[in-house]
Amino acid sequence: MTTVLTPPGKRSRAARTGVLRRRRPPLLTGAGTLLVLLLALLGPLVAPHSPTAQLAAPFQQPDGRFLLGTDVLGRDVLSRVLGGGRTIVLTALAGTAAAGAVGTAVGVLAAMVSRRLGDLLLRCVDALAVLPALLVVLVLAAGFPGSATALVAAVALATAPFSARVLRAAADTVLSSGYVEAALARGDTRLAVLRHDVLPNIAGPALMDTALRLVASLHLTATAGFLGLGPGGATPDWGRMVSENVPGTTLAATPFLAPALLLVLLSVCVGLLAGRLADTVGRGAA
Amino acid sequence: MSLIAFAGRRLVGAAVLLVVLSAVVFATTAVLPGDAVSAVAGVDASAAQRAEVRAELGLDRPAAERYAHWVEDAVRGDLGHGFVGDRPVTDVLATRLPNSLLLAGLTLAVTAPLAALLGLWTGLRGGGADRFVSTAAQILAAVPEFVVAALLVAVLAVWLELLPRVSVIPLGGTPLDVPHALILPVLTLSAVGLAVATRLLRVSVADAAATPYCEAARLNGVRGIRLAVRHILPNAAGPAVHALTLTTGALVGSAVVVENVFDYPGIGRELQLAVAARDIPMVQGIATVLAGVMLVVLLTGDICARLLGAREGHGR
Repeated sequence: MTTVLTPPGKRSRAARTGVLRRRRPPLLTGAGTLLVLLLALLGPLVAPHSPTAQLAAPFQQPDGRFLLGTDVLGRDVLSRVLGGGRTIVLTALAGTAAAGAVGTAVGVLAAMVSRRLGDLLLRCVDALAVLPALLVVLVLAAGFPGSATALVAAVALATAPFSARVLRAAADTVLSSGYVEAALARGDTRLAVLRHDVLPNIAGPALMDTALRLVASLHLTATAGFLGLGPGGATPDWGRMVSENVPGTTLAATPFLAPALLLVLLSVCVGLLAGRLADTVGRGAA
Repeated sequence: MSLIAFAGRRLVGAAVLLVVLSAVVFATTAVLPGDAVSAVAGVDASAAQRAEVRAELGLDRPAAERYAHWVEDAVRGDLGHGFVGDRPVTDVLATRLPNSLLLAGLTLAVTAPLAALLGLWTGLRGGGADRFVSTAAQILAAVPEFVVAALLVAVLAVWLELLPRVSVIPLGGTPLDVPHALILPVLTLSAVGLAVATRLLRVSVADAAATPYCEAARLNGVRGIRLAVRHILPNAAGPAVHALTLTTGALVGSAVVVENVFDYPGIGRELQLAVAARDIPMVQGIATVLAGVMLVVLLTGDICARLLGAREGHGR
């Protein structure tokens, strides 16, 4: 009986570390992610020029003053690259955090209430999942032009339905386990069960799911920047830099290649890392 | 439940969902009527001018009343006029939507067979090739479409000068008049679609291959193509249709981006222009129709999966 009462969290954590020890840790992708994130977050502090000032003729070749040349309006590409990642990363992180919170709340709620009510709740959430993520972003951008909050909300709305579904399944498994039944039989309130049994045990799946949503969020925020949604004006943004400078590819390659390659590095590293995390947690739980 | 009853129930469900989604779209875009007024009247219009425009656009009435009016017209096939250029929304849809559907159709024609092959191969083989293809698909799915498109443009159109950079379609013509203008958009969309579909198909093939009856067939000496065609494909077909449906859904979003990169005259480009110009009726009309298209795709997928004998509620 005691084995039934032990939450499975402990065992799966042991299994998880075992899996990690057997597989090579993802050093390269980890280092890549760290590098791009540091560049994106701290870049604005070390930019040599103003990212918005027009300093020279458009599409100048790289030289001593402008290490990566100048862009379509004669602004310093290096400064814009250094300053252009912060919005994308912060918006994506905020959107993911909001999606994770909303998804977990809805998922757990759907699992805690009666089955029919839970199904109904998920049915409503599914209605949102029908819309392609980018359509949600575009519609919200049309309603709230240039608003960064609307972009965060759109990213969260577009990704949260999937989280809710995954977390409801996870919470369902925990709720039907022996130790929750024992806790309820002992007279614990549902709130206490939620705090001590459900939430600690779905933390793993929730984290894994949030990591996967981050990949989608980065994708969406970068695309929103490319389409000129979200806070506009002259502020640098890797996505918008690509769209601004593609027409000038024949004249200068760096203004468009630098942000494009950074976006590739960012999304690939985060994607591989999230996939790896999902693999590890999934295998540990199995 | 018979197929007709099943289809009928799903159809009603989809219709209800479409009404709900149109209300959501309307509510989201209509909460800030002030912006629609300044988009039409100009930012420095006087208060009197603004009030006049407001009354002219019918924005002085409550939102619920406007929505009821909009639905009434929409049922009769009139989605209103755009603020910019006063074009009827239905006209724009009629000229642009076929172009987008052509793009999507060509992409699916390229993607579906390739994804089926790759999914079967990797799902059955496993090992190094599987890891390679899976990782490649994971990478490709993570990179935003516009980066893929921009890199393709840079290499194929600008540096190698093999293909046109933008899809210039002659006035009054269809994209089929200039087939080479379609290559880059279809190539980009196929790459993205292939990445999504291969991963989903690989999972369903691996699931089918792990079932006891496939194991039994393998023990009976059935191998290779025969195993794939006779035992795996029929059992993976239901989930595969599900996977293709999801891919099509992802393509609707990708198409908006790709059409913008190549200036392709599709509905996604029109939607982005409308959002940029704050052309609210146009956004409402196009977004609602696109949601309708998504619902039709999902419905078709559901019915096909049912015809193929997939168990209901697959994929939780």
